Amino acid sequence: MNYVIALVLGAAFGFSLNKAGLTKYHRIANQFRFKDMMVMKYIMTALVVAMIGLYALHGLGLVTFPTVPATYLVGNVFGGLIFGIGMSLVGY
Amino acid sequence: MNWIIRQFKQETWSPYAAGALLGVTGILAVLLAHTVLGASGAFENLAGLIGKAIAPKTFDNMYFNFIMPPGITWGVILLVGVFFGGMIGAATSRTLKWGKPDAALDDAQWKRIFGPQPWKRWALGFLGAIILEYGAGIAGGCTSGLLISGGMLLVPAAYLFMVGMFASGIVVALIVYRSRY
Repeated sequence: MNYVIALVLGAAFGFSLNKAGLTKYHRIANQFRFKDMMVMKYIMTALVVAMIGLYALHGLGLVTFPTVPATYLVGNVFGGLIFGIGMSLVGY
Repeated sequence: MNWIIRQFKQETWSPYAAGALLGVTGILAVLLAHTVLGASGAFENLAGLIGKAIAPKTFDNMYFNFIMPPGITWGVILLVGVFFGGMIGAATSRTLKWGKPDAALDDAQWKRIFGPQPWKRWALGFLGAIILEYGAGIAGGCTSGLLISGGMLLVPAAYLFMVGMFASGIVVALIVYRSRY
């Protein structure tokens, strides 16, 4: 049952990525050139919608938050730096 | 009803509409499965699974034993869904390139910058993906697993990651595009 949920949610995830055009090289590359702000608009919209929904549900006591990625300053920034090289280069 | 079908056939949605869909998906992941969306972790689970089968000595370390235990996890199934979801998205707008002659490389901008040879796309894609996955391993997630899923729970790590990602991404774009930036 859990796997069915994963499959369906994954399909919704992939579908929305495709419809936003994030599966295309020029979209990602142009975000880093600031010629095309689609990626930023997409990520920020997703964040805002999910934040409102999750914190509202949390406030109503309907969900408990899962364990979240740990914060360790150097690792997060350094990992982000390496990640950005790959992302900007190949546009995935 | 016609309106819905028309929307499905559109190749590119407004980023706000597509982003809202992802936001709802993220909420449902927490609500139904008590976990967050993510992509890079699944590759590490799979790599661990293959690595343990081929070279158990090399993979017998902290990272693959405790931090990223190998196996067919929730994330791996999610990734399968992402693959087919992307295909459905492309198929509904009739832009699916499966079996087409330009399937390996159809991006006009890439051709202008790197040349029309598909092998370059494959080679750089492979190399870039290694760099990308390595960075994701250090940071504890990728754009989806850390930035979006962590960000929606207001985890500081997500925003630190975004700072790093953009800092180096802009520099690499500057190097690749030079005067055309």
